Amino acid sequence: MQYDPKLPADGINTSAEHPLREFALLVAGLIGAVLALIAIAALAVDRLVPLVPPSLEARWFGGWLTDAAAASDPRSAPVQALLDRVVSHWSDAPYPFRAGVIDEPDPNALALPGGAILVTSGLLDRVGSENELALVLGHELGHFRARDHLRGLGRGLAAQLVLGALGGSGDLVSGLSAFAGALAQHGFDRRQESQADTFGLSLVHAEYGHVAGARDLFAHLARSQRDAPATGRRLASYLDTHPLSEDRVAALAAEAAAHDWATEGPLTPWVRRPDAE
Amino acid sequence: MDALIQIGFALALLAVTYFTGRRVERRHYASIRARERELAMLPAVTFRQIPSGWVVDGLGVVSGSVVVSVDYFKRFLAGLRTLVGGRVTSYETLLDRARREAILRCKEDARQRGYQAVVNLRLETTRVSRASNNSRATAGVEVLAFGTGLELRRDPR
Amino acid sequence: MILSTTETIPGRTIKRFFGVVTGSTVRSKHIGRDLMAGIKNIFGGELKGYTELLQESREDALARMVQEAESLGANAVVNLRFATSSITQGAAELFAYGTAVQVD
Repeated sequence: MQYDPKLPADGINTSAEHPLREFALLVAGLIGAVLALIAIAALAVDRLVPLVPPSLEARWFGGWLTDAAAASDPRSAPVQALLDRVVSHWSDAPYPFRAGVIDEPDPNALALPGGAILVTSGLLDRVGSENELALVLGHELGHFRARDHLRGLGRGLAAQLVLGALGGSGDLVSGLSAFAGALAQHGFDRRQESQADTFGLSLVHAEYGHVAGARDLFAHLARSQRDAPATGRRLASYLDTHPLSEDRVAALAAEAAAHDWATEGPLTPWVRRPDAE
Repeated sequence: MDALIQIGFALALLAVTYFTGRRVERRHYASIRARERELAMLPAVTFRQIPSGWVVDGLGVVSGSVVVSVDYFKRFLAGLRTLVGGRVTSYETLLDRARREAILRCKEDARQRGYQAVVNLRLETTRVSRASNNSRATAGVEVLAFGTGLELRRDPR
Repeated sequence: MILSTTETIPGRTIKRFFGVVTGSTVRSKHIGRDLMAGIKNIFGGELKGYTELLQESREDALARMVQEAESLGANAVVNLRFATSSITQGAAELFAYGTAVQVD
């Protein structure tokens, strides 16, 4: 038998498909699949959250702001007193709410699961009247009513779970998961914000008989945003987590008009320190 | 924000390694093709028995091996592919290059030792792993080609 | 194309031989199969998903090898051998190689 030194054709053992095209397809497909999974998980969370009874929520998270801690800070007492008055108009309040004050120059307010509402000292320094603070507290109560904070928690957890299950292509996946987690937790959507606004407004009206001062709140906060020097802060400014838009102010005005609530009236001054310094 | 920086860095790395990987591959293939033409007159076959009509003056084991490394882009693409399933095309060129290179080195070894043919050629492939936190990371692919070199009295052609 | 793991094709003589022809594929199963395999790892049994995977790979690799042989003008491949290796987690490489010959 004779040897024939021919070479086989090239490229049979490799694919002709361009690697960049495959890359684009795979990445797009994967991102789509991940987002779909997260969306499904978020929907599941939304369904499950109303099933968590408030008593259970209070038991799990309630310890975050004990009465002792609140009582030790003299600034929280007037806030707590105002909160109690505002809550008294909410007949279905699921659990006792506690107020606390954090030392932060940026104005902000946080609602924590279990019924704790924290306001920053920066917020207390900037509100022009008690009515404005009442609106802020009422707004946070609105979030509690809709269990929004639980939904945010659940969605963040769901996102982390889905991305963790996919395992590691290393840095890229962990970066993506951190980003997605941050997105999911970043705040409440517009619908949640507006319903919290209207609930807060109704509480303010129930307490004072009018809604004067509500619009001033946003003006004061916007001014503080401009005046405040830009330095790194752990807590973002109120306006970062509660974006201001003309729509919100307009929506409040429309809500007041719809209920025929008076928009003018005497404003109760906010006493900053119980013991005047 | 550092999540975005992480993603950006990874994307930049992917872009760079795509281009460098492509260049390395092209150069390697050009070298392979040139040497294949040159070494075509030395047959390497998988026959287990020496073909009748060949008069063998001497024989010995010849071998050639190479470890080809994986670049970041290929590894990433393969990682994505294992999630979805199907042909891992990014590793195909790797293995093709490694195999052809190993066979060429085996032939060169045979030629250097004065053999005119290689019979009973066998190929072995292994994965070379990298010691890292992800301990199953593939650093490269090793292919070993070995066979018996024959010193023939008469040219097989 | 005649394929055989034997030295010669019985009843036929080899007129010419070319070199080694190879066919290889690297395939992986999707993550769903991996999870099922993980469960099977606990309870035992045949990993049907992976069996299928390697079967497909074998057919694919043989097809490519035959393509190489055809491009040489061969009509048979003798001394056929298979080799499997694990290149990356979740994927297996399979390649087939043999000597392309022309039989009468």
